[in-house]
Amino acid sequence: MDDILDVDGCLRRWKDGDEAAAEELIGHLYPVISKIVRTHLPRRDDEKDLVQEILMKTFSKLHQYKGDAPITHWVSRLALTTCLDRLRAQKIRPEIRRSDLTPEESDVFDAAWLSGSSPDASGAIAARDLVDKILASLSPEDRSLILMVDLEGRSLQEISETTGWTISKIKMRLFRVRPQLRQMIHKLEERK
Amino acid sequence: MNADMNSPEDQKWQSLLRLGASTFAGETEPPYGLISQTLARLRAQERQQEDLERIGWRALLASFAALVIAATVTLSVAFQDQGGDFEPGVRSVLQMDNIQVS
Repeated sequence: MDDILDVDGCLRRWKDGDEAAAEELIGHLYPVISKIVRTHLPRRDDEKDLVQEILMKTFSKLHQYKGDAPITHWVSRLALTTCLDRLRAQKIRPEIRRSDLTPEESDVFDAAWLSGSSPDASGAIAARDLVDKILASLSPEDRSLILMVDLEGRSLQEISETTGWTISKIKMRLFRVRPQLRQMIHKLEERK
Repeated sequence: MNADMNSPEDQKWQSLLRLGASTFAGETEPPYGLISQTLARLRAQERQQEDLERIGWRALLASFAALVIAATVTLSVAFQDQGGDFEPGVRSVLQMDNIQVS
């Protein structure tokens, strides 16, 4: 991605007060930030607001960017940290019960075995809301870790680079959170 | 996806993620107004920072000026006091009668 845009040139122009350079940078970084915000934040949270907060942080901390890694990596880390801060500010919900599910979420949960075909838009949204509800009872770090591993299929090394956590810490977290997740799904199955 | 996940709960979880996968996808283009709003906020932030710097400099200069005035007053009083160790009343009597104190 960084090959398409002359990031260094853009940064230089921005520091010289060229706003067009800032526009180019925002356009370049937006897809990366949007993906992270959509993945790590519950669907109903104000996405645009958070994206803007991340962009503001990016510009105010640009002087800290050393240029030793692509700027998208640096911004990914910043975006994830901001998402985790936002999640930390939210209250961790108690464990989800079957009665907490809407009829649509309940249907999606029951049909989750038959997911060979692509769901319609409302089915996808119900599935997402259900995923958000299940994850809401985990800590922000565990929640993000599960999504990075299970949804994005990222390696432990990649996660380590993005989060700054050591590989052993990641393994330990996964080892601890996986049974928690299984138990929650099991309880949802039981209370049909 | 994780290869070690074989329990029914794990498979159910993976199915749920697959079903909701489209809602996790990010956008490629910023929504209308995001760039202009961000630039406006950046400009405002920059102005605020400049104002704060200006206020900071003024405060620093004012404190420096106050310090210089205080130092000048202290030194001038010290010079005036060099006449001796007498009380001001005694000193004025000495000066009036032109008495030499060695």
